[in-house]
Amino acid sequence: MTPRLERTTFRAVGTTCSAAVTAGAGDARRARAALAAARSEVAACEAALSRFDPASDLSRLNTAGGAWTAVDRRLLEALRLAFRARRETGGRFDPTVLPALLAAGYDRSFEQLVERPARTAAGWRAGATVELDEVRGLARLQRGAALDLGGIGKGYAASRALDAMEAAWPGMPGGLVDLGGDLALRGRTPESGPWRIAVADPRRAGATAGVLLLHGGGVATSGRDVRRFGPGGSLHHLIDPETGEPAVAGPLTVTVVAPDAAEAEAHATALAIAGPEEAGAHVAAHPRISALYVRQHGDPLPLGALPLARARILVRVA
Amino acid sequence: MQRVWTVVLSVWAMLAIVAVLAWAHRPVVSSSPQTAAQTLVVKTVNGKKQLVLVQPGALGATHATTSTSGVVR
Repeated sequence: MTPRLERTTFRAVGTTCSAAVTAGAGDARRARAALAAARSEVAACEAALSRFDPASDLSRLNTAGGAWTAVDRRLLEALRLAFRARRETGGRFDPTVLPALLAAGYDRSFEQLVERPARTAAGWRAGATVELDEVRGLARLQRGAALDLGGIGKGYAASRALDAMEAAWPGMPGGLVDLGGDLALRGRTPESGPWRIAVADPRRAGATAGVLLLHGGGVATSGRDVRRFGPGGSLHHLIDPETGEPAVAGPLTVTVVAPDAAEAEAHATALAIAGPEEAGAHVAAHPRISALYVRQHGDPLPLGALPLARARILVRVA
Repeated sequence: MQRVWTVVLSVWAMLAIVAVLAWAHRPVVSSSPQTAAQTLVVKTVNGKKQLVLVQPGALGATHATTSTSGVVR
């Protein structure tokens, strides 16, 4: 029997998620264990990283008033990645934009948002600090600051879930975790070729802006095509850390390929508030990543060594 | 002797219940569609129609789709 892609689909982190594993004949039990491990790890990450759950580790840290707080190791690790990403993106990605995001009106989960005029967060400045004590499992956030791990949390959860799959099935041939479009993947596909990842075209429902061929790593897309809110849907959730307001510049969507899904998310967020020239310079300065920059009009713009697929004609039949 | 049989039957009944519960709570598993080359009809520059076999790539099945992500809620 040829290998197949065994898949489980579930609801978590406010979106539809799936995990898939390459499995051959006789692998059903190990495949089920790997898929169950992925679901379990995503649930654990959500319990640690969600800002919409008042009992989450992140919410407890946000409301600790600057005190040292015992938190799950997942939050510690995600914070370390997030603050490293802030340094690498020159502050274009900043996990401390939450007060500005709340002032703009994104103050509850998207499905529950009510329309009200946008405000700016008085006195808010980007660049708040966090201290981590990874030995004792403690974190301390600068007093008055608040964190939103948002997309990077999903990217981190996708990578963790893929690790959990491999721990449940040592020697797993290949696997993929998809958290609403944030992807972590590694190993072999059932066809033994690369993973084929479609990039949704935000301008045409159901259409594809390109297909990526990947052997591993992470993929994330950020943009202003969905999750709009405020008067007439005029606002979006991409806050420019320099102004504290929804960003003006930027593409409709940008998809980033990176060695890791959390890294892909952070850079996607940074590029989503950048014009095409700035985005090109950013990718050139970070050779670990590549991107597909989709504007309202015109062809999608590949940046860096983007592994885009091209349809190949095998045979002219007649 | 009757007591021994009662114990044996009770143990088997319990194992059966555990097995049924484990079966009912297993993860939902489905298979993805298998990929295959596609045959397309294309028109050449001189107006003739041609059949071509195209390898799945930009066309054909994909393993997943990436689109704008939201936030963890």
